[in-house]
Amino acid sequence: MTADSDTAVAAAPRPRLLPFAWDRVALPGFILLMGLVFGSLNPNFFSWTNLTNVARQSSVLALLSIGQTFAIVSGGIDLSVGSLLAVVSVLGSMQLVAFGLVPGVVGGILAATLAGAVSGLLIARTRIPPFIVTLGMLSLARGTAFTVTGGMPVVGLPTEIQWIGAGSLGPLPVPGVIAAVAFVGAHWLLRRTSFGRYVYAMGGNEAAAIAAGINVRWHKFFVYCLSGFCAGVAGIVITSRTLSGQPTVGETLELYAIAAVVIGGTRLGGGDGSLIRTLFGVIVIAVLGNGLNLINVSSYIQLIVIGAIIIVAVGFDLWRRERRA
Amino acid sequence: MRRILVALGVLAVGATLAWAASHESYPRPGKPSKSYTIGVLVPQLTNPHFLGQAYGYMDEAERLGAKVILHDAGGYQYLDKQIAQIEDLIASKVDAICLVAVSGPGTVPVVDRAAAAGIPVVNVNVMTNNEKVAIRIRSDDTVIGETMARFLHERLKKGSVVMQSGPAGASAFELRAKSFRAWIEKNTPGIKILGERHSLNTPDQGLKNMEDFLQTFPQIDAVYNSADFVAIGAAQALKAAGKAGKVMIVTADFQPDTERMVREGVVTQAVVQQPVTMGRWAIRAAVNILEKREVPKLLYTPILSVTKDDVATVDLSTVRAPAGWKPK
Repeated sequence: MTADSDTAVAAAPRPRLLPFAWDRVALPGFILLMGLVFGSLNPNFFSWTNLTNVARQSSVLALLSIGQTFAIVSGGIDLSVGSLLAVVSVLGSMQLVAFGLVPGVVGGILAATLAGAVSGLLIARTRIPPFIVTLGMLSLARGTAFTVTGGMPVVGLPTEIQWIGAGSLGPLPVPGVIAAVAFVGAHWLLRRTSFGRYVYAMGGNEAAAIAAGINVRWHKFFVYCLSGFCAGVAGIVITSRTLSGQPTVGETLELYAIAAVVIGGTRLGGGDGSLIRTLFGVIVIAVLGNGLNLINVSSYIQLIVIGAIIIVAVGFDLWRRERRA
Repeated sequence: MRRILVALGVLAVGATLAWAASHESYPRPGKPSKSYTIGVLVPQLTNPHFLGQAYGYMDEAERLGAKVILHDAGGYQYLDKQIAQIEDLIASKVDAICLVAVSGPGTVPVVDRAAAAGIPVVNVNVMTNNEKVAIRIRSDDTVIGETMARFLHERLKKGSVVMQSGPAGASAFELRAKSFRAWIEKNTPGIKILGERHSLNTPDQGLKNMEDFLQTFPQIDAVYNSADFVAIGAAQALKAAGKAGKVMIVTADFQPDTERMVREGVVTQAVVQQPVTMGRWAIRAAVNILEKREVPKLLYTPILSVTKDDVATVDLSTVRAPAGWKPK
């Protein structure tokens, strides 16, 4: 049960040791604390340049994590999103070079959506678990990216594409705006549409969802299409930031996307979770990486810190649930 | 102090050993009055080559009163990470950036951002395609290829050679192979190049290539290698065929396995880059730029040629970090 589902909050008795909703303030509080620490150690942390940097750098992870949230809430997982970035980067770049801006962007996003559709079809129509299907897709997609390029980067992209990764809308960085719009849209989709309710339902209890007459196959298929689409948009952002097609890009990013979702407090089993939580999870990872870079902490230590935070965050979440139960 | 003197003495010997037509030296400037902060980006510290380079940056910076912020991308596949690291260096307002690019085209936009922020970029070892860098410092791959060609010209004079040219399309390896072939074809009519193969720079690829060469050509006198790992694979194939030491192996770069095989006489010649020197010169160039002194657009660091005869005496202080050294 979660504090995000209104009925659960109403039904759960207020535990004495937790006078208010800790889970709603724990992560924002932690982010604030990190900000204060990094800001006092390096005053440039709060500079506008740096804050927009954080937005730019985290936009790719944010987009992947949005798709991942749907996959996880539906009771599945999508391991392929990091490799899909490479597919978009490579195929999108080739189309950008050959046909120009709009066909390149649309083609790149379509390629990833199509790959997501293939995963979705297999997950919906067969008994192969999502973990295995998307693990296969991870390797398949990476291999495709290497095969079509022979391992070399794609170059000669039209420079207008740079606007997506480096441009600004007023004071706001474009990739940050894209991620923000995606968050709002996805939140609406998960919370305000019947599709969103079905995603929760099939993640919580698939048999019950089927018994209730929900077309689980169709909605599962759509979940992975959506995850592929998000990876497609993320791939366009990264292509723009690198102004080239890179078959090696995005390696292990799928794990960070999963980490962002679980740090936010979404349960891996499905049926529970929200995009607001994922947003906080993304901010934690992004601010941590950026802040530790700014105070010159080695990237090896960063890996250790992120690992510890994943375990502590999930541990805290479980402890809180038990208290409440 | 004694160690430094010994090192200097050996350095003088080492310098005379090198055939390199590169810049002999790029002297250390006077210590600036201000303490500069210099961001350094390397692709992969687990590679001894970049560990040696990291030592060069750190030690030189200490001597010039500068502070180094060292970032490791963790591998050539982590372009997105290197871009974020550069952006974070720009945000922390470092005075200069030394960049070993994980991707030539992929680093173009972010180097633009550094330039826009007025931060000079010293491009070291692996080149970015962005022309806005203040200076480029690297080995001359043409010289590396020619040095191997000269060696075979003198030692072999007549015979058959096969080539392992490393990854196709990687410019450093291609340049070495091209200049090797050109020099041989121009200057040594007695030496025939039988075949050339491109592959990933891994021992298993080198092994497979060499096995195939041995099946195809009954008489091979020497193997050219653009890179160290394919050379190690070639050595394994020759050992298995009972031809180790009988077929000459020439290669670029000098990792510990290469050194052992040079001592054993399996690898005949290693042409060695000087990553420590690259790091030192990069910091010197950065300080010169910041002190408003003129710098050249391009500097070639010298290379060393190492054979069994001089492997015991050659000075590796410009190649490797001191044993046990770790970046802080």
